Amino acid sequence: MLSIAVSELTQLFRNRLVLVTSLIMPVVVSGFFIYQHESFAALGSLGYIAGVVVFTVGAFGLYATTVTTLASRRQNLFLKRLRSTTASDPQILAGLLTPATVIALLQVTGILTVLAVVSGQPANVPLLVAAVVATTTMLIGLGLATAGLTNSPEHAQVTTLPVSLGVIAVMSWVGISGTEELTLLKRLLPGGAATELVVDAWNGGVAVTDSLTLLAPTLGWVVVAVALAARLFRWEPRR
Amino acid sequence: MSTTPVIEVERLNVAYGDFHAVKDLSFQVRRGELYALLGTNGAGKTSALETIEGHRTATSGVVRVFGQRPGDRAAVRPRMGIMLQESGFSPDLTVRESVRLIGKLSRRVDHVDRVLDLVDLTGKAGTLVAQLSGGEKRRLDFATAVYGAPELIFLDEPTTGLDIQSRDGLWGVIDNLRTDGSTVVLTTHYLEEAQQRADRIGLMHQGTLRREGTVAELTRSLPAVISFSLPVSASAPTPALPLPLPTEPGDGDTLRIETLDLQRDLHTLLRWAHDHAVELRGLEAGPTRLDDVFRAVGTE
Repeated sequence: MLSIAVSELTQLFRNRLVLVTSLIMPVVVSGFFIYQHESFAALGSLGYIAGVVVFTVGAFGLYATTVTTLASRRQNLFLKRLRSTTASDPQILAGLLTPATVIALLQVTGILTVLAVVSGQPANVPLLVAAVVATTTMLIGLGLATAGLTNSPEHAQVTTLPVSLGVIAVMSWVGISGTEELTLLKRLLPGGAATELVVDAWNGGVAVTDSLTLLAPTLGWVVVAVALAARLFRWEPRR
Repeated sequence: MSTTPVIEVERLNVAYGDFHAVKDLSFQVRRGELYALLGTNGAGKTSALETIEGHRTATSGVVRVFGQRPGDRAAVRPRMGIMLQESGFSPDLTVRESVRLIGKLSRRVDHVDRVLDLVDLTGKAGTLVAQLSGGEKRRLDFATAVYGAPELIFLDEPTTGLDIQSRDGLWGVIDNLRTDGSTVVLTTHYLEEAQQRADRIGLMHQGTLRREGTVAELTRSLPAVISFSLPVSASAPTPALPLPLPTEPGDGDTLRIETLDLQRDLHTLLRWAHDHAVELRGLEAGPTRLDDVFRAVGTE
């Protein structure tokens, strides 16, 4: 798995398009939100800005890269090539997705650290870590499922839009308006409960036990995404 | 060559929905032999081969490679090298990185530089795959297949797109590996390669194995052809002479004699020509070629 991951990291850094759209753009957008943190905190809260960071990096960085990478590697038969070796399917997927995941986690950690330095520490760091991990897992699962419907890297620019824009919209809705109204609906939408968890972890004021229950809907989406991926994911192009 | 089968295929069926690509296919490949699986387009050989390689799941039937399920990658793949029909390398990796990655994942031991030298890609080691020509990509594919000298090598149309020097180089490497005991399964559209190289040939058509055997066994059932034309002279109309064997018209003025005993009938024809002082123009005679068997199977 490690040799696949190293090779994937090499490919990521040699592909300027992926480098710009997946690694640099989310950082730039997040940087803008931190620069304007007082305005956005007034709109929602500092927790909302943390949510923006997690979901911008997660959706436009990790999720989009996952779909694009898998579609590209399948299209040029690299997945088939890897399957002609001793590597198992889980090892291949783990090797291919580890670099983008690690980069996304480093990006989120770095940007949230800057936010903490600029605006103050989050109330509950372990809860924030749990929220980030759960969100990351959900987006990887959704990426695997979406890759099954995506024929090429070009096609990924279209197929990633519903989930990317959808989770960003849900995050903004929940982050700005809170969950006092339409609570169940907001928590069941993909990214809704995860956003509430990030906001609670950053702002504080909510019992940890109450916040932890928010992991359930997010992990539920992980299960749905993995089930969809198992059904939709293809290792070779359609003939 | 050992009679121990390296590959055992029993009543293999591969279907895609309602379409049956492979029907009741059974054959064995013995240790150390070069087995060529040939067929018309859409005959099912790629589906069969990919099932044996472990890339595809059989709809029914049994496939064993080294006595194991081909899908058991950890057990089987270290002993087998696969040259795919299409390249399957990342364009953003160099030649050296590609060979190193696939070689390492094969769990066979070898030196990247040695393998690159074998396929004459040493000078391209630092070149990105995206910048390679079609022939160089085929050689890269071949390099990963022979990395670590595997016991079993699958070659799916290995010489397509290769120039004559590269073909000779590739077959030289294969010959050396076979000397060391490697087994080879080959598919190709170049029938002369199969005719020259294969110990045994399986001919597929419409999903089934129609013929199997050595080249001699396969060609034995079809007649050889003698072809020639006769000079026409105003003073002596040669065609009026009774020919010693039944003929049928060929292209233009050419006459054809189909025979199951080439030596006897060719001798008869030459003796007749000598006795009547007839010149047999453009005389050609040869054993049945694999092409003829292939065509015969294609019309069944």
